[in-house]
Amino acid sequence: MIEQLRFWGIVVLLVFGLFFTFVSAVGVIRLPDIYARAHTASQTDTLGAGLALAAVALALGWDSMTIYAVLLLFFVFITNPTAAHAIARSAAESGIVPLTDETEVDVEPDPSTPDEGES
Amino acid sequence: MAAERVLIPLSDTVTVRQTVGYAVQSCPGEAETLEFHLVVALPHDMEMPEGQSLTADAEKLLSKAESWVREDASAGSTTTTIDIETAVLGEDEYLFGPRDYARTFDSYAAKHDIDRLVLDPEYQPGTTAQMLQPLERELESVGLAYDEAPVERPARHERLVGDGTERFDKMFAMFWISYGFYLVLGDPTYWFDLVTGAAVAGIVTVSLAHVTFTFPLDRIGSPIRTLRFGLYVPYLLFEIVKANLAISLVILRPSMPIRPTMTRVNARVRSGLPLLALANSITLTPGTLTVRADDQRLIIHTLIPTAREDLFEGSLERAVRFVFHGRKGARIPTPEERGDTEIIGGDEL
Repeated sequence: MIEQLRFWGIVVLLVFGLFFTFVSAVGVIRLPDIYARAHTASQTDTLGAGLALAAVALALGWDSMTIYAVLLLFFVFITNPTAAHAIARSAAESGIVPLTDETEVDVEPDPSTPDEGES
Repeated sequence: MAAERVLIPLSDTVTVRQTVGYAVQSCPGEAETLEFHLVVALPHDMEMPEGQSLTADAEKLLSKAESWVREDASAGSTTTTIDIETAVLGEDEYLFGPRDYARTFDSYAAKHDIDRLVLDPEYQPGTTAQMLQPLERELESVGLAYDEAPVERPARHERLVGDGTERFDKMFAMFWISYGFYLVLGDPTYWFDLVTGAAVAGIVTVSLAHVTFTFPLDRIGSPIRTLRFGLYVPYLLFEIVKANLAISLVILRPSMPIRPTMTRVNARVRSGLPLLALANSITLTPGTLTVRADDQRLIIHTLIPTAREDLFEGSLERAVRFVFHGRKGARIPTPEERGDTEIIGGDEL
């Protein structure tokens, strides 16, 4: 019973991990510019790798390898934003102007973008 | 026309005033013009967070030193003309360690035809690790003549005591962190790992404790902060999952309703570790991405409106403030209420 639960737990975690990795790959293809793509690239690392590593930890059980998996996740969580920031910053520094929908907002004021800021 | 040119690197030390005084005094009286080049070398480039406040500090120090030179020179001989040049060096490059400083000073000296440098014995530019060669040796190797100002150091013994406990705290923390990490990777019940771990942790402590903790540790505060950080991690994970689901929905929808915007948020967290934690957490949650960190002004790219609203509500900022300042510190108005948020155009980077 417990073994069965564990097996299905591993399968579910892996499937969700794969799903988020897939979404992230789709995002990299579909999104328009480098800044938007950097967002979705961080998805692979956070939930994709996170769930896959959780599956690994579950598969290994109470083992010292489990600790390694958790540590691995910890380092991924530290390095991933650093890399994303480095990409975005170097893009900003080489003068890539991000696509924003400022122009569309000007034409038709959107209720979801209240013009706060100065208030 | 005998001109004497002296280069004086300044840093914010207790002996900087005496060094300037010595530099003025030590110049031979027969020289017709005295040129003092006061420079501050910055370890970081301007683009770094805190870069602007560091530069402002440097300029304050330079103007103070300039008035010191005028004061000392007017007290002495009156026949010579005094010229003072000030400069901030290393704004466009990364100075790392004494060799870079020596090279920078040498190229400045060559450009301005300076033949003597007066060095403050306590000169400490930025963060310099102990293992690197001292500046004196590097100055010798680039062939720049220097002169160490004979200064009286005030109350040295007291400072050593003060430094002592601080140093002990840093080493204590560093030792147990590295020892703990070693044992987590190894086997805490095996004597070989225990012994080698102690040796490795000792080496790491001696060589890296000063680099790791650039701030003094608080014996009660630091462990509490670590515990609060433990509470922060599950909260961050929850936020990440939430944001991931929202972004996934947007990406998979055929119409892909994204609304990318550039925003500027002035974060109310201290520079250093808190700012790093906040900027990293913001980047870690999909939908918001820190593009620039310029002091506390974070420039953040947001992908969808809900992510931007979350950002402007400042829940992550409040959580980071909770980690570092406790529950009281977390009770601040949201960035939106403070007027610290702004949507900027994409070309305003």
